[in-house]
Amino acid sequence: MYKLFNQSVEPCVIRTSDGAYIPFDEANTDYQAYLKWVAEGNTPLPAENT
Amino acid sequence: MAYGQVNADVIGTSVAGSNIGAGDASLMKNRIINGAMVIDQRNAGASVTIPATATTYTLDRYQAYASQASKFSIQQNAGSVTPPVGFSKYLGCTSLSAYTVGATETFLVGQAIEGFNTADLGWGTANAKTVTLSFQVYSSLTGTFGGAIQNSAQNRCYPFSYSIPTANTWTTISVTIAGDTSGTWIGATNGIGIYVYFSLGTGTSNSGTAGAWTGTSYISSATGATSVVGTNGATFYITGVQLEVGSSATGFEYVNYQTSLANCQRYYEKAYYAMTAAVAAATIHITTAYYRVTKRATPTIVYTTGEGTASTFQNYTESLAISGVPGGNQRIDGSFTSSAEL
Repeated sequence: MYKLFNQSVEPCVIRTSDGAYIPFDEANTDYQAYLKWVAEGNTPLPAENT
Repeated sequence: MAYGQVNADVIGTSVAGSNIGAGDASLMKNRIINGAMVIDQRNAGASVTIPATATTYTLDRYQAYASQASKFSIQQNAGSVTPPVGFSKYLGCTSLSAYTVGATETFLVGQAIEGFNTADLGWGTANAKTVTLSFQVYSSLTGTFGGAIQNSAQNRCYPFSYSIPTANTWTTISVTIAGDTSGTWIGATNGIGIYVYFSLGTGTSNSGTAGAWTGTSYISSATGATSVVGTNGATFYITGVQLEVGSSATGFEYVNYQTSLANCQRYYEKAYYAMTAAVAAATIHITTAYYRVTKRATPTIVYTTGEGTASTFQNYTESLAISGVPGGNQRIDGSFTSSAEL
């Protein structure tokens, strides 16, 4: 599960299992896993501070 | 006086096992990072049980994969056996059950090597160089074991096999691999150049004929190889892993500790930040934590300990700029991990 995070100057998403901040960098393997998760039809939770 | 030229694949010395390989090799002979298993930043020698279907990083630069959860664990110097001569550490795998591997299942440990460190091999071209993989291995089991070399897309695979004839004895293994002249290999980028995998149990669908390249995807072991996870309590220990240019294994390239640590920190490191808010009013305070080594890519950040709140940040490959808005005289400090693994 992931949650959007909008308090970073550069966009990122939080992996809820360990609180990891994953940058939107296509070379980052965690971001690659996030994109795969989204492609499978999943939707991240909304950001808390929008 | 004119001087001649000596052409040799291996230049030996009077010290047994000490020689220089063929890959223009006095530096970066070994494409494996942390081949002597000395760096373990994440776990500091603690055991890790491998979960299902999630790449899990153990000793630095080594990743494990398991189709089913809790079938094996990995720990630096597991079992506390005497390492082979010349080494103080090893990566130890222990089977946690007697599991029959399904046809499409895979249990393995290995390393993904960055493209910048493999591009000179010329794989995927007619000029592909031959490499040799060597390592020291110790197991409670005997027989034929397997592993594989793969490209980043895992659709070019070279299964290999090797024999462990005597249980609970360090055995030196050498596997020579003719470079792949086909397929897509990513070249000089920060992506995955080569996967090197050691199988701990691989199903028939993911096994292939040893000693030949195949275009079948996800082949991670040789057909008929021993399954470590098939025996409860079975052990598989490995160290001295080296992948080098040439058709024969040369002496292990020892790397001083600080260099090995820095090599690992391109992919993972623990770091710290601190800032002081010496005013009563809530004000934005900013600090920058520079990574000790520039990361392979923008890293994933996990805050591990700290006081106050790092409310916003900006993440680069070189540094992490952190902002906090404290409501009075206080400090904001803490530690975090940054991961840019392959």
